[in-house]
Amino acid sequence: MSAALRSFEAQWRARTADALQPIREQAMQRFLKLGLPTSRDETWRYTDLRSLAAQSFEPAPCEPRGNIDPAASLSLVDADQHAATLRLINGCLPPSADKQAINGIEISSIKALSQSDPKSLARFFPTGSDADQRRWVLLNTALFIDGLYLKITRRVTEPLVILHVSTGERAHEAAHPRIIIDAAPGSSATIIEHHVSHGDIAPLNNSNTHISLGMDAQLEHYRVYATGAGASHLDSLDIHQAHGSHCRQFTIVLGGGLVRSSLEAHLNQPGASLDSHSLLVGHEDRHVDCVNIVTHAAPNTRSRQTARAIAGDVSRVVFNSKVIVNAGAVGSDSQQSCRGLLLSPGAEIDTRPQLEIHADEVKCAHGATTGRLDPDMLFYLLSRGLDRETAQSLLVFAFLADTLTGMSVSSARAAIENALISQLPDSQLLRKFR
Amino acid sequence: MLVISDLSARVAGKEILSGVNLQVNAGEVHAIMGPNGSGKSTLAQVLAGREDYEVTKGSVSFEGRDLLAMRAEERARAGLFLGFQYPVEIPGVNNVYLLKAALNAKRKAAGEPEVDAYEFLALIRQKMKAMQMSEAFLTRGVNEGFSGGEKKRNEVLQMLVLEPKLAILDETDSGLDIDALKVVSAGVNSLRDPKRAVVLVTHYQRLLDYVIPDQVHVLSGGRIVKSGDKSLAQELERRGYDWVMGAQVA
Repeated sequence: MSAALRSFEAQWRARTADALQPIREQAMQRFLKLGLPTSRDETWRYTDLRSLAAQSFEPAPCEPRGNIDPAASLSLVDADQHAATLRLINGCLPPSADKQAINGIEISSIKALSQSDPKSLARFFPTGSDADQRRWVLLNTALFIDGLYLKITRRVTEPLVILHVSTGERAHEAAHPRIIIDAAPGSSATIIEHHVSHGDIAPLNNSNTHISLGMDAQLEHYRVYATGAGASHLDSLDIHQAHGSHCRQFTIVLGGGLVRSSLEAHLNQPGASLDSHSLLVGHEDRHVDCVNIVTHAAPNTRSRQTARAIAGDVSRVVFNSKVIVNAGAVGSDSQQSCRGLLLSPGAEIDTRPQLEIHADEVKCAHGATTGRLDPDMLFYLLSRGLDRETAQSLLVFAFLADTLTGMSVSSARAAIENALISQLPDSQLLRKFR
Repeated sequence: MLVISDLSARVAGKEILSGVNLQVNAGEVHAIMGPNGSGKSTLAQVLAGREDYEVTKGSVSFEGRDLLAMRAEERARAGLFLGFQYPVEIPGVNNVYLLKAALNAKRKAAGEPEVDAYEFLALIRQKMKAMQMSEAFLTRGVNEGFSGGEKKRNEVLQMLVLEPKLAILDETDSGLDIDALKVVSAGVNSLRDPKRAVVLVTHYQRLLDYVIPDQVHVLSGGRIVKSGDKSLAQELERRGYDWVMGAQVA
């Protein structure tokens, strides 16, 4: 047993039982049996967790050290144009955050809800799946301290922001933030999860978000990572969609030393539709590993996955996507498109679109390309007198920008574009090109 | 203005230009004609500074400066313009911003201040009108989704905005219908002036009915094998390139 596994087991034994104990118990036993994923596991082959497995983890603190500086995060929404910002410190929320209702969204603490109404929560903790990529979710289920339960009851226009702050007191701490988004039939909302780090030490952040969309519900969901080089994220997103529901999802990785983000979508009923956009930026010696698994479980479901990966310096960016069409899911329509851009000889991009089809009469397309900047485009810009650095930055930005065009929150788009641009040379000039 | 001496160049290890000699003076329009594969486009790209085209011999001077020692962006800022045979599409980079950045790069090199945003838009609108281009162009990516003819008009528009000293237009006439050809020709003619020069690379004599050249050259096998006045173009149209190449052998 690895040091990490032993430490998680010790944490498990040290905690007091709560109303979710049977669910947690089952998850922990399963996690201990499966162990941490290794490179032998199909969806973990590109991310080496050996150094992580050798560490002993302690729970990350719920109380922040000093004041949390709000300027440390991107301003994804204008102050007067969003419903609220809910701030979680290492997955814990301040007591005041419980039982609010803003503009058609009921906000509860999962901890409080598990005491008052544990049965209503059970369906958001599915058990039984032993897929490799779910091991960290099992650990989250066993050890999460608190989290947010959001019930969307009607059409909400202003975006709601969840600010995940990672902050540690000492090395080798772990947090397990948990978010549940429960969209009632016919409701619609925009929810932005923004991951930031505070201070020099960031705990291992093992977060999970569970989205359940009722009939004809619509959700635009963002997860944005803009943390420092010391931060590690193992984030998983589960989406369950009913009849005619539509989810537009943006995964934006601008920061973090190790970011492993997974998305598992289940298009459970006819007419469910998913648009997934991933923008993965690697630089320095950072590691970004994004895994999408989309299951078409009902007829006439639709999915689109678009990913743009870019890797500079000696970074590594991985994008694996898989579409599974279950037996009987006729009329399924899926597209996967991934393009990678390598900016230096030491960088690496791995992409693998996969298809697993068990039904006839489906439409599934996939494509993946990785290369360097197009020399014809570069020469064209140079031949018009542009500086080489400007021309290169412009092409990099142009490469990434089309993943952002579908964003309906224009302030989020502008902030993300700005953050992207500031990572490129000639940022002042580039701003004029927007 | 432009003096090319004994210029040889290779593309992917294959010699395409083998000793080109050409002098273009200010105020002149030269046409370079020749069959497919004769090296016309290579010559244009080498002059514009394409790095993967390797110059193996010879020299090129542009207004007394060693052109081959300059990088592509320096050549552009010094007043050399290449109208591409196949203008590349660059989605995500806005047409107008590229034009503005190009103009400002040139002005900066000349020690002039950046162009005022309002003046710039007025200038663009005026030139677009001359090129009979639609307003939709303003919001689109560089050449994105343009038809062949629109791309060529866009090249000439860029030329009109940048006002180069030397414009090299690589088959700007190909793929144009007769109306578009007239618009493009008028654009090129509007740039004619005693201080500027134009080099037209073309397959056909058609363009030269509208833009009357001072000299016509035939490029074949990587060399200029025959030069003459505008009547040479008419003779080529009538008798074909075999006639010149036959003469070369004889």
